[in-house]
Amino acid sequence: MQLLTAGIVLLALAATVPGLAADAADYRAVLADIDRMSSFTDSDYSCLLTVVSEKPGEQPNIQQAQMFRRDGDQKAVILILKPAVQKGQGYLQVGESLWFYDPESRKFAHTALKENFQDTDAKHSDFRPPALERDYRVAAAAEGELGRFRVYVLDLEAANEEVSYARLRLWVRQDNHLLLKAENYGLSGRLLRTSYYPSYLQLGDKFVAAKMLFVDELRPGEKTQITLANASLAPIPDTVFTKAYLERVNR
Amino acid sequence: MKGYAVKLARVALRNLNRQKKRSFLLGGAIAFGMLIITLINGLTGGFIGNASDNFSHLLAGHIFVEGREKSPSGRVVAVIRDDRALLAVLAEAKLPAEHLLRRASFTGTLIFEGESLSLRVDGVDWRKESYLRERLVLRRGSWEALADPRAIVLSEEIARKLGAEVGDGLLVSLRTASGQQNAGELRLGAVYYDPGLFSTVAAYASLPTVSELLGLAPGEYMTLGILLKDIRGMERQAARFRAALTRAGVPLFPRRTLDLMGLGLFAGVGAELDWQGSRYQVSTLNDYLGQLNQIVNILNVIGLVVLLVLFLIIMVGITNTYRMIMYERTREIGTMRALGMQRAGVRRLFLLEALFLCLGGALVGLAAGGLLMLALTGADWGLDSPMFVFLRNGHLSFRIPPWQLAANVVLVCALSLLAALIPARRAALLEPVEALGRHY
Repeated sequence: MQLLTAGIVLLALAATVPGLAADAADYRAVLADIDRMSSFTDSDYSCLLTVVSEKPGEQPNIQQAQMFRRDGDQKAVILILKPAVQKGQGYLQVGESLWFYDPESRKFAHTALKENFQDTDAKHSDFRPPALERDYRVAAAAEGELGRFRVYVLDLEAANEEVSYARLRLWVRQDNHLLLKAENYGLSGRLLRTSYYPSYLQLGDKFVAAKMLFVDELRPGEKTQITLANASLAPIPDTVFTKAYLERVNR
Repeated sequence: MKGYAVKLARVALRNLNRQKKRSFLLGGAIAFGMLIITLINGLTGGFIGNASDNFSHLLAGHIFVEGREKSPSGRVVAVIRDDRALLAVLAEAKLPAEHLLRRASFTGTLIFEGESLSLRVDGVDWRKESYLRERLVLRRGSWEALADPRAIVLSEEIARKLGAEVGDGLLVSLRTASGQQNAGELRLGAVYYDPGLFSTVAAYASLPTVSELLGLAPGEYMTLGILLKDIRGMERQAARFRAALTRAGVPLFPRRTLDLMGLGLFAGVGAELDWQGSRYQVSTLNDYLGQLNQIVNILNVIGLVVLLVLFLIIMVGITNTYRMIMYERTREIGTMRALGMQRAGVRRLFLLEALFLCLGGALVGLAAGGLLMLALTGADWGLDSPMFVFLRNGHLSFRIPPWQLAANVVLVCALSLLAALIPARRAALLEPVEALGRHY
């Protein structure tokens, strides 16, 4: 009798906790949807990035870069076009390796996907296809509203140490599973960055954030806005995803 | 033969005494040269000795063990998770360790009221690292404030740049040992005088707090520092420790020289090698001080060059003086030769005079150098001197090994004898009849 009572109490408690264990599989499916919609595994993908970085007391720093992605092979290239002083700098990603090319020294330097892109609040990992289902587990979930959208609010915990942030809180649209907002937390539980994805661009059955806003929560007033243009699924020559390409475009 | 040598020596000393002013000036020049080289040698020796002592306390050890762990994905993490094997080998090798000091560190960004700057924060065990407390001169705040586990000690310059005062809360943004973004809150506990030499070593916080920010589990850390009872046996003890670790099957990285000024420590170590699991790097203070040793060696070479130039001038003086002496004593030489003194005797007489002059000058130079060093050692430069790394508790100190003193004296005497050799030979070649008949 006592066991039965305890079981009933436990079930009642579980029912009150947001994000039931029974729903965990559904929420993982939401994560898988987010990953799938932003990953171009069947085609190449390229676009023009405009990165506006703002810091208090400083003029906004505006950069333009061309991005090429071949997600199926885990390859990507970002070539800086503006400003003139940084023109020709580039990043080549092959698998988990990322190299930075400096045309002045004509040398490649190893860098990490967890590093910030240039001197902005965006990380290199923000430009790669997400792997939320693989890298995070759902710790809690709830339903709510963000603006005029019904959303799932998912608290995620890192499943491995390869990710940039130990914890995430995501606001995901219930109707189409598009990510609208993310809070990035450190290991200590402190909010480090808030990311907004206010608009999306549809390319076939894929969706890419047409605009991204990253707000630094440690340094008030620091934020970075990234806008996409000229998105294309046209095939990209194999030679683009090589170090030689970054060297050649600078000649 | 012995009596003859004594007689020659007496005559040489009498000759030196006859020309007091000349002997005084020549001997004085030699003494001055000796004084300069002694001071330079002593000062550079003191610098390296004091820097070694001070750094051993700032860096927490004479021998350092750093851990590296490679994950299956190839990521290298700086961590010592379990030091039992290391400590067992340490005990077995019976290293004369005075203290074992554990540290962890990160390079992050301190943020306060919109101001931010990048710096290295070392996590230290304040209870054990009493030596470090003696080396840091507090300008504001107190050591008692460090009882707060969130307390951070900043250099004056860093605190000024941030505009932070003791008691202010600071944000720190960093990467964990595995490279994730993290942030934490610290409180400015004290501000220390910044010697300005190592701007990257700018902050200290408690070890548990730094480890926690780095995402390390309790008890995990990055560097084990072994402070020996006597620094002189450092390299030998490190070699013994390495050998004992190898025998015990503890995997080690090959030794490499480190960057003192950047204090990059082991950044990048191990990433290029094909290995798995945990490995350790054993280094000594000398690996950090390699650049300092180079500077000291350069200073010593400069000192030697100065000495040689000085003695070239003195040698010219000695040669000219003895040439004059030869002319002055031509009749005397003739008389001695007529009374039976051989050519070798005349030559030896001249060389003995030069040797005595040189020895006298060298001894006076050493004595003057000793007195000057004593006076300079007494001067208090203060613990907040910009030179504090090279000082011993705010005082200059001089270290010069006896062999170097002896080598300097031998060098000076050899050069003096060389300078006197030509006039001595010419004097020895004088014919008695011719010499007796000469007038100058």
